[in-house]
Amino acid sequence: MLDWLRFVIAALLILGGLCFVISSVVGVYRFKYVLNRMHAAALGDTLGILLIVLGLAVINGLNLTSCKALLLVVLWWLSSPVASHLISRLEVTTNQHLEENMAVKTESDPHEEVES
Amino acid sequence: MAKQRNDYENSWFPRLQRWIAQGGTKLNDQMTAELSEASDAHRVLSADDMARREVEQAVHQMEIQEHEAVLYEKAHEWGRTKGAKLIRAFYAVLAVALCVSVIAVLLTTVSNLPSFGGENNPINNEVSQRYIEKGLQETGAVNIVAGMILDYRAFDTLGESHVLFIAACAVMILLRLSDSGDPRQLSRERMEAEANDRLYEPKNDIILQRVAGMLVPIIMLFGIYVLFNGHLGPGGGFSGGAVIGAGLILYLNAYGFLATERFFTIRTFRAVSFIALAFYALAKSYSFFCGANHLNSGIGLGTPGDIFSSGLILYLNIAVGMVVACTMYAFYTLFRKGDM
Amino acid sequence: MNLEIAYEWLYRVALTVLGGSLFFSLFRSIRGPRIADRIVAVNMVGTQITIIIAILTFMMGEGYLADVALIYTMLSFLAVVLLTKVYLGVYREHHEKKQQEETENA
Repeated sequence: MLDWLRFVIAALLILGGLCFVISSVVGVYRFKYVLNRMHAAALGDTLGILLIVLGLAVINGLNLTSCKALLLVVLWWLSSPVASHLISRLEVTTNQHLEENMAVKTESDPHEEVES
Repeated sequence: MAKQRNDYENSWFPRLQRWIAQGGTKLNDQMTAELSEASDAHRVLSADDMARREVEQAVHQMEIQEHEAVLYEKAHEWGRTKGAKLIRAFYAVLAVALCVSVIAVLLTTVSNLPSFGGENNPINNEVSQRYIEKGLQETGAVNIVAGMILDYRAFDTLGESHVLFIAACAVMILLRLSDSGDPRQLSRERMEAEANDRLYEPKNDIILQRVAGMLVPIIMLFGIYVLFNGHLGPGGGFSGGAVIGAGLILYLNAYGFLATERFFTIRTFRAVSFIALAFYALAKSYSFFCGANHLNSGIGLGTPGDIFSSGLILYLNIAVGMVVACTMYAFYTLFRKGDM
Repeated sequence: MNLEIAYEWLYRVALTVLGGSLFFSLFRSIRGPRIADRIVAVNMVGTQITIIIAILTFMMGEGYLADVALIYTMLSFLAVVLLTKVYLGVYREHHEKKQQEETENA
């Protein structure tokens, strides 16, 4: 009975993770511009991998291999935002027609904006 | 070249000869002074004479140099025009001939190999059985593959690490900005190369620096873990060295060349590669001299499953890993900067 | 319904879905109009491969595949860092040379 409970919890976690991965792929297809697609791609990086690895750790208990998989999640969480930052900096610097796709803020004093 | 002098007959030696020839007289004061100095440095010429003499000497020098330049041009003219073409054609023919002959030799060898899957092939003999059955006992390594490449067939791995080192040397020969001796020319070359490659790149990204400061120690630790566990599980020298090299490259990208040169210069590369390869060669090249017989290295085998087991395999893994890490970093900096 | 068959089906479904999303991400990397599209798609491919290797670790019971997944994580991050850096440098150099030529011609 407890084995079936473990299976149900693990299946829920893994299927939830798969839903996040599928929605990130669908989002990459449906959004129109790179910087929007990056929002969708980050879904799979963060919650997708966490839920799937948690489900796998529930199946196999807390031994050395599951601890390595959790370390895998920590490494992804450290490195994925930096990768997004670098890609967005690349895009903003190389795109010369940035105003077509989003509202570009001009240089202005932030204190003035707060007052007005 | 000695100074040109037109008054040889008045210098001290011919006058001595003449004095001896005429029978010799007693030395008077002037003669004594002249003989004692033995040169005519005390002869003071007038300023006009000295100026004229210097101008004549300078003109004479320039004429000699022009003459030599003309002769040099004539002598090397054939070499520059027709000789260069001849040598290029000869080099092309020789290169093609060498490639074709090597290809022919290799194809002949391959066509003489036994057919695939035959029963009497050398690969289906009793050696692989012996490795699998007695590998753990004789080498002490739980990972039979590591025991094979670093104990039974350690000589092959020696050749492989040397191939890595030769590849790094070849890339250095081709790509390194040479110290051609002239400091002004060298700095101009370097400045051009830097302007072409790295002037416009983003530097000192603060986010990348903070995260790389956290990630690089983790990567290095992980690389050392993979290196040390070569004989207990998959890993070993080559993969652990690649991970350490990747960690070095990440550090270089985050912090720049100046910060990395504080601890990894070309001297470090030379020292680490040489020490690692020399250690490996000294430890395992006795099979040249002993007819491929196995000698005990003196280090005990230990219990399988420990870190400090399996004799010399752990230390050989470390040596190979160091060579691989240095080679990967060297490739990256040679392709990007032209120097280390 | 046996427990082991249930686990096998779970693993198979997960691997199939991830394989399909891998294929679609590759398609995005071929099709994306800008360079940053392609780099985003390659990053996503890296994520999905890491998840596949993690699932295979527990499906086959081999513990060392977790090390492989860790190495793959590090290498994919390093690839993104290097690609953006080199491409940004190339673009800026190209741009500056074009601007210099324009100011010289004008």
